[in-house]
Amino acid sequence: MSKNLRFALPVILFVVMIVFLGFGLFSDPRERDSMALGKPLPPFELPDLYDSNRIYTPQDLTGDVTILNVWGVWCVTCAVELPYLTALREQYGVKFVGLYYDQDLDPDFGTKTLARVRNEVTSMLNRLGNPYQYQIFDVVRDYSLDLGVTGAPEHFLIDRKGHIRLHHIGDINERVWTHKIKPVYDQLIAENNSAVINE
Amino acid sequence: MNKWLLAILLSLSLGWAYAQQDVNTESTANSGAEENYQFADEQQRQLFLTLTAELRCPLCQNQNIADSDAMIAHDMRRKVYQLIQQGNDEQQVLDFMKSRYGDFVHYQPPVTPYTMWLWLLPVLFAVFALVMITRKQRVQEPSDLEEKLARADELLKREE
Repeated sequence: MSKNLRFALPVILFVVMIVFLGFGLFSDPRERDSMALGKPLPPFELPDLYDSNRIYTPQDLTGDVTILNVWGVWCVTCAVELPYLTALREQYGVKFVGLYYDQDLDPDFGTKTLARVRNEVTSMLNRLGNPYQYQIFDVVRDYSLDLGVTGAPEHFLIDRKGHIRLHHIGDINERVWTHKIKPVYDQLIAENNSAVINE
Repeated sequence: MNKWLLAILLSLSLGWAYAQQDVNTESTANSGAEENYQFADEQQRQLFLTLTAELRCPLCQNQNIADSDAMIAHDMRRKVYQLIQQGNDEQQVLDFMKSRYGDFVHYQPPVTPYTMWLWLLPVLFAVFALVMITRKQRVQEPSDLEEKLARADELLKREE
C-alpha cells in the first residue's frame, strides 16, 4: 500500500461517513410516501359528512383530477391551509374533496354526536373558507389507515382513473403548491385533456 | 448531628416516593396498551401484546404502538385487536400493517439487498480491522534489530 493511499483512505471514509450522516441529519423522518402511491384507491364505502344516506365509493373519485384532503377541525395546520386551498379552488378550479375524520369521536365509546361534528365543521369553514366540493366522513378512521395516513393534514392527488399519483404529508402552502404539487397536477390535467380529445 | 439525620431521612423518603411513582407509571402504561379490549383466551392476549410491542408508530419517532398515545397508535391498536378477533395470525396482522405503512412499521427489518448491509458492514469492518492490525505488526518488525540491540548494550555498558 502506497503512503498516499494510506493517508487518503481514512479521509475518504470520513468524508463518505459525513455525507451519509449529513443526509440523515437533514432528512425529514416523517417524510414517507404512502404504500398506496401509484395504485388505485383502496375500496371504501363511506357516507357524506352532511348526509348519512349518501354513500361514496372510489368510483365517485374518478373522472376528474381530485385532491383528497385528509383533515379535521381539531387539526391546527388544517385550519391554517384552508384559506389557501379555498383560493386554489377559486383561482384554478382545483377540485378538493375532504376526507374528514374526528379525533374526539372515539369509535370505542362514541363520545360526540354527529350533529356536533357537523356544526363544528360548518362554523370553521364559514370562518376560513370552504375549498371542498364535498366531504367524505371516515367514521371510524378505518379508511385513513387503509391509505397509510399518519396524521392531518395529508393530501392525495388522484388522477382521472382513480389512481393515487402523489402523496403530500403536511399543509399545502404556496411553496409546496408551486414546487411539488402544481407540476404533477398540471401534468394530470394535460393527460385528461388529451384523453378527452382521443375519445 | 441532628441535621445529618434529618437529611438522610429526607433523602430516603424521597427515594421511596420516587420508587412508588415508578410503580404507578408502569401500571398505567400497561393498562394503556390493553385499554378495554377483552380477549377470549390468554393466547390472544399475548399475541396482542407482542404485536403492539413489535409494531412501530408511523407518526412518532421510535415508539411502538403500545407505548404511544398518538391517535394513529390508538387506531392501529384497535385494528390489531379487530384483526386478532377475526382470527388472523401474527404474520397476517404484520402483512396488513406493512401493506399500508411499509417495512418501517415493523421493528424487525426484513433482509433485502439494501438492508443486508446492516448485518454485513460490522462483520466486514471487523475483518478489515483485523487484517490491518496483523499486517501492521508484521511490517513493524525492524530488519536491523540485532544491530540496535548491540548499540543499546553498548550504551548501557557506558552508563555503568
